[in-house]
Amino acid sequence: MAAKQSKFLIGALLIVGAVGYLIYTSIQETKVYYFTIDEFLLNQETLANTDVRVAGRVQDGSIQWDPAALTLTFRLMPIEPGTIPVGALPPGVAVSYQGILPDMFAEGRDVIVEGLYTPDQQLVASTIMTSCPSKYEPEIEKRLQAS
Amino acid sequence: MTHLGTLALYLASVLAVYAIVTSLWGVRTRRTAWIASGTQAAYAVGGCVVVASIVLLHALLTRDFNVEYVASYSSSTLPLHYTVAAFWGGQKGSLLFWTLIHCFFTAIVLFQNRTRNQELMPYVTATLMTIALFFLGLLCFITPPFERLSFIPDEGSDLNPLLQNYWMTIHPPALYLGFISASVPFAFALAALATGKLGDVWIRTTRRWALTSWFFLSLGNLLGGRWAYEVLGWGGYWAWDPVENAAIMPWFTATAYLHSVMIQEKKDMLKVWNMTLVILTFVLTIFGTFLTRSGVISSVHSFTQSGLGPYFLTFLAFILVVSIGLLLYRLPDLKSENEFDSLLSREAAFLFNNLILVGLAFATFWGTIFPILSEWVRGVKITVGPPFFNQVNGPLGVMLLFLTGVGPIIAWRRASWSSLRRQFTIPLVVGLALGSLLFVLGYRNYYAVVIFSLAGFVLAGILAEFSRGTRARQVMLHESPPQALGRLVGKNPRRYGGYIVHVGVVLIFFGVAGALFTIEKQITVSTEQSFEVGRYTLLYTGITERDDAHIAAQVATVRVLVDGQQIDTMHPEKRFYKKQNQPTTEVDIRPTLVEDLYLVLGSYDEPSGLATFQVFINPLVSWIWIGGLILILGTCVIMAPNPAERQALALARASADIRGQAVAE
Repeated sequence: MAAKQSKFLIGALLIVGAVGYLIYTSIQETKVYYFTIDEFLLNQETLANTDVRVAGRVQDGSIQWDPAALTLTFRLMPIEPGTIPVGALPPGVAVSYQGILPDMFAEGRDVIVEGLYTPDQQLVASTIMTSCPSKYEPEIEKRLQAS
Repeated sequence: MTHLGTLALYLASVLAVYAIVTSLWGVRTRRTAWIASGTQAAYAVGGCVVVASIVLLHALLTRDFNVEYVASYSSSTLPLHYTVAAFWGGQKGSLLFWTLIHCFFTAIVLFQNRTRNQELMPYVTATLMTIALFFLGLLCFITPPFERLSFIPDEGSDLNPLLQNYWMTIHPPALYLGFISASVPFAFALAALATGKLGDVWIRTTRRWALTSWFFLSLGNLLGGRWAYEVLGWGGYWAWDPVENAAIMPWFTATAYLHSVMIQEKKDMLKVWNMTLVILTFVLTIFGTFLTRSGVISSVHSFTQSGLGPYFLTFLAFILVVSIGLLLYRLPDLKSENEFDSLLSREAAFLFNNLILVGLAFATFWGTIFPILSEWVRGVKITVGPPFFNQVNGPLGVMLLFLTGVGPIIAWRRASWSSLRRQFTIPLVVGLALGSLLFVLGYRNYYAVVIFSLAGFVLAGILAEFSRGTRARQVMLHESPPQALGRLVGKNPRRYGGYIVHVGVVLIFFGVAGALFTIEKQITVSTEQSFEVGRYTLLYTGITERDDAHIAAQVATVRVLVDGQQIDTMHPEKRFYKKQNQPTTEVDIRPTLVEDLYLVLGSYDEPSGLATFQVFINPLVSWIWIGGLILILGTCVIMAPNPAERQALALARASADIRGQAVAE
């Protein structure tokens, strides 16, 4: 009897082991560090050749978009100016991207950029998510706050 | 008018407290009058919530923009059906909607059991009312839906454009129905634990509820995928976004439960496991709601960050403490003397299928909360995206697909070699033949070859079951083939309905595997310029503008040619929703059984006339929706009135009564 039940135990352990193994290795292979732009700028020397996800704001006047070649470059800036002393860090990071612009992408928007940080200090984006925090926040509330 | 709504919500809260107290007090003091009074109060809670819902709907339909919710989620130009959908389009309204459905289900449960399960019912009422009370508390004190503004805006800020889609009007309700109906089996599970009536009465009583919950969870996920596919415009239907994960996790555990419960019915085993799955499914529905509403994890679905997180966490902790406490208390009574007989048995297949399903739920959970975990443990936020989930859940899904083929045709208890040979020869031959054929045809994507072969294996097994059963009836009862098939299914709807559901699931797998062959292209063209994607030639002929009070749109015209012959014209759009000041993408999809041509107008540059397109060729996507329809059909068959099941329930009740009397004596 015990031998029969232990067969089940071995089968179960094999499955549990497989799940654990898949989770562990997949996290190692696909993990992406998530930073706010400030954290990213503070640590950027150590981040060359890593996959990162950075939340920041699109700098005014920095967007260069070539609709024919579908290439985009812009600078990602801290969201709240003043958290880092001026001149202490390089001002933001250059982002390059190839593809269709997300609907909500514009100057001054808060975005999350995911991509590879190259040794030449460029963030080569694979995805740009426009996560304006006020996206789902109704206009009314803003008007209320303003008044 | 809105004061009435607020009043109704307060009254409902008071009544819910009353229902909880009197139900439990009635059990304690063995006074049925108290219990009956608690039941009446529970119905009354539902009545109050109906009143509050009508008030909110009235405010939306009369466009009372002084009400903050109405001003925030609708506008004077919003079409009628979306105005109704705005009821669940925002945080506050969706919580009220949630409470409404919960009360509706509660009323059905109370009515169904007005003369039955009298020992269990007080606890069921108390549990369901506790859940209602939590949501009512939020509605009264944290997110009051009838709050008024200090001024009257001339116009509302409109429903989010992404929500203005017909799938969106039915996808959240479907998912809510699935989430909320999971609370019924949970309430009965707690009642069984509390009373010690741990036999299979509670399981048989809630079987249909568990199935209903599973059905709506399936439907909600499918519709959500459909919505994402049509509206979000990134070419896919599933992105392992935290909120999608929140919706699929309870589906995994509910699916596991529907299988493992059969082992309890047949062999009186896995009682603790089943109890755990029911509790876990319910906990995951609340966890899912928490994920959506707390803003702890960023997601495209997130509602405005609200202070709801802590309340949900507290409620989750409360549920877990009560459920685990009761479970541990009754643990000695849940032991089973039976054992599994053989690894080559249906029990084993179900057991392993359960482990894989729970593994899928766990992996999904782990990946979803990993950013929070890693921040706690290591101080760095590490996220994992779709690649993680595909890498983990893909192989687990393939294993599950294999077991889907094994489970229905392997014998219970112990399969003999001769029965294995009889049952498995055809499916294995079909699967292997299909695999070899694909290999010979030059398919070298082994993942896809394995999935397609397994799909053949599973389908052949199911078809063989149907044909064997039909032929037996034809020979023995001299019925015509359609008659034999109809009666075969009618005599055992649970079994054959389950097979039909399996067919649906296999087709969904088949459709999902098509994603391994997706082609994507991005290109910028000028008017009258054409480009090639796959076997299609697309000719862009220009943009027309459309403008009304609600939406301004740029509509591209693209001719679709194959081998120089025009087969279709497509019109992807770029829309601008005026009230929300938001541009959106309106894709055009040309579905066929083989592949979908999915066309996105990425951008349009007015001065140069250049249009940028993103084109996807998504093979086999249609089979996901077809599989979904078959799944719905199968579930309807399972739900069909079933005399055998009713008999089993009556028998279970009778034997429970006899046992109860024996104990009393």
